[in-house]
Amino acid sequence: MATHEFAVSGEPTLAQEESPGSEGALRLLKRTGRIFVIVLFLIFILLPVAFICTTSLKIPLEIRISGALLPQGGVVWENWVKAFSEVPVLRYLFNSSLIAFVSAMLVLFIAVPVTYSIVRFRTGGFLLPSWILGTYVMPPIVVSIPIFTMVKMVGLTNTLPGLIIVHTMLNLPIAVWLMDSYFRAVPKELEFAAWTDGYSKVRTLVRVVVPLIKPGVMVAGIINLILSWNEFLFALILTYSAKSNTFPIGISNFVGEHGLQFGQMSAAALAGIIPIYIMVFFFARNLVEGLTRGGLRG
Amino acid sequence: MTVPAILILIVVSLIPLVYVLALSFTKSSMTKPLQEFVGFGNYRAAFHDEVLGISVRNTLVFAITTTVLETVLGFILALALQKERLLSKIFRTLALLPLFTPPVGVAMIWRLIYNPESGMINHYLMKVGLSRGFIAFLGDKKLALPSIIGADVWQWTPFCFLLLFAALQSLPREPFEAAAVDGTTPWQVFRKLTLPMVAPALIVVFLFRMIISFKVFDLVFMLTMGGPGNSTQVASFYIYRVGFKMFNTGYGAALSVLILLLISLFTTPLTIGRDLFMKRIGQE
Repeated sequence: MATHEFAVSGEPTLAQEESPGSEGALRLLKRTGRIFVIVLFLIFILLPVAFICTTSLKIPLEIRISGALLPQGGVVWENWVKAFSEVPVLRYLFNSSLIAFVSAMLVLFIAVPVTYSIVRFRTGGFLLPSWILGTYVMPPIVVSIPIFTMVKMVGLTNTLPGLIIVHTMLNLPIAVWLMDSYFRAVPKELEFAAWTDGYSKVRTLVRVVVPLIKPGVMVAGIINLILSWNEFLFALILTYSAKSNTFPIGISNFVGEHGLQFGQMSAAALAGIIPIYIMVFFFARNLVEGLTRGGLRG
Repeated sequence: MTVPAILILIVVSLIPLVYVLALSFTKSSMTKPLQEFVGFGNYRAAFHDEVLGISVRNTLVFAITTTVLETVLGFILALALQKERLLSKIFRTLALLPLFTPPVGVAMIWRLIYNPESGMINHYLMKVGLSRGFIAFLGDKKLALPSIIGADVWQWTPFCFLLLFAALQSLPREPFEAAAVDGTTPWQVFRKLTLPMVAPALIVVFLFRMIISFKVFDLVFMLTMGGPGNSTQVASFYIYRVGFKMFNTGYGAALSVLILLLISLFTTPLTIGRDLFMKRIGQE
């Protein structure tokens, strides 16, 4: 099974044997160097996030004159209260959640059978997988004009269903690409056994294969959920009022209209970032595995 | 089982591409598409379009710089963390944060950080005496594009790290044990063993990042709107402006076709190169 070759393990396989005495000092020096690089990166990753958090808690006047990391004039919730009262943050979050959840479900519903079919029955030969990959490589802006025209034709601009459909279609290739290696890892024999027992292909997929690759399906689902939540371009051209604006568009419009009230905007942005971070922490292990398996296969 | 997926592929790629190609040979607007056949008129206009030239150059600079920086930094980090078991566990979780931060959040974070009065960089640069006045990172023609690159490096280096870390972990132990017995220097081990063995993964990561970098849109939209001047104008954003702000969809379509060709010009040789390389070292 070639599929497990990139599985993530916590074991450092390159770890060298401990060597005694005289080289101790050199080893310590090297280790210090390594730790220094790592800590530097950790700061680089975390500091920006920390800064937007602390800014959201500063007194608005202080934000205008100082970029210090920690609030100097005390911690206040004013920005958060204002963000929720002046920006329809909750509405945006509701729109984004609904679109992300429904489109992720639809993507799985369509991607699971097609991935299985490509992996097991080589449906579409070389053409179908290349087509899926090509669709992913293509910058979305290239198809934005036709997709806008089509959505307009069926009267779904500025509606949640319109964006749900577009996100489903756009994210399908990524789901196929992510689940592919999981499907490949399922032993054929299990399916042959199921067929011999009189299971249909669909029933084999649902009852035998999918339960075996639950982590893969879950990862694809979560990643598609986040991609839809984060998606900018199509949400920008297809929605134009709070009724259907997603979180990214709502926030970016607000910045455009009201100039930069950093305190409020930091709070509003965090309102959309924090749910994602919670999900990421919750599923961290699955996400790392899914990304590295999918990613390294290329 | 594949019918819905094929239908989606047709709707999301085949029809749009045919439509874009058709539009590109016509005078069209958003509300009145396909008004008049103009042959290669839009393409001729594109070759004389100064802004297109600038946006192509900026896109290439952005894509190549971010890809190289992120792959190299990610690789250094992956190497450094190989021998740090606990740290690598913590790091792999934290690395997911920038990657999954909504681009609108990334943009807000970096607008704030780069801001002259409210930003952290200016505050601390002045505090330690490295600069006397405020630096308008996003408002300066020379600094704006590097600043956007900085935000992108923050978001995507962790991704390169995750993939390369996993690739290093999956290398077989035996060659390294043999090298240790032979008393090979660490640099030789790196040059002769680690690097060649991890090369396929490096190429994959490089290619992957390049593809995503070519699509850059949201960061530019939210950080600079292509400005100041056209100093951060990139292909995606320029097409958006032509198609959705000036409503010149015929010309926007021609630009789309050209950009698509340009990107394939870059990614196809890389893909082929990777396949050849894989064959040579006997993988896949």
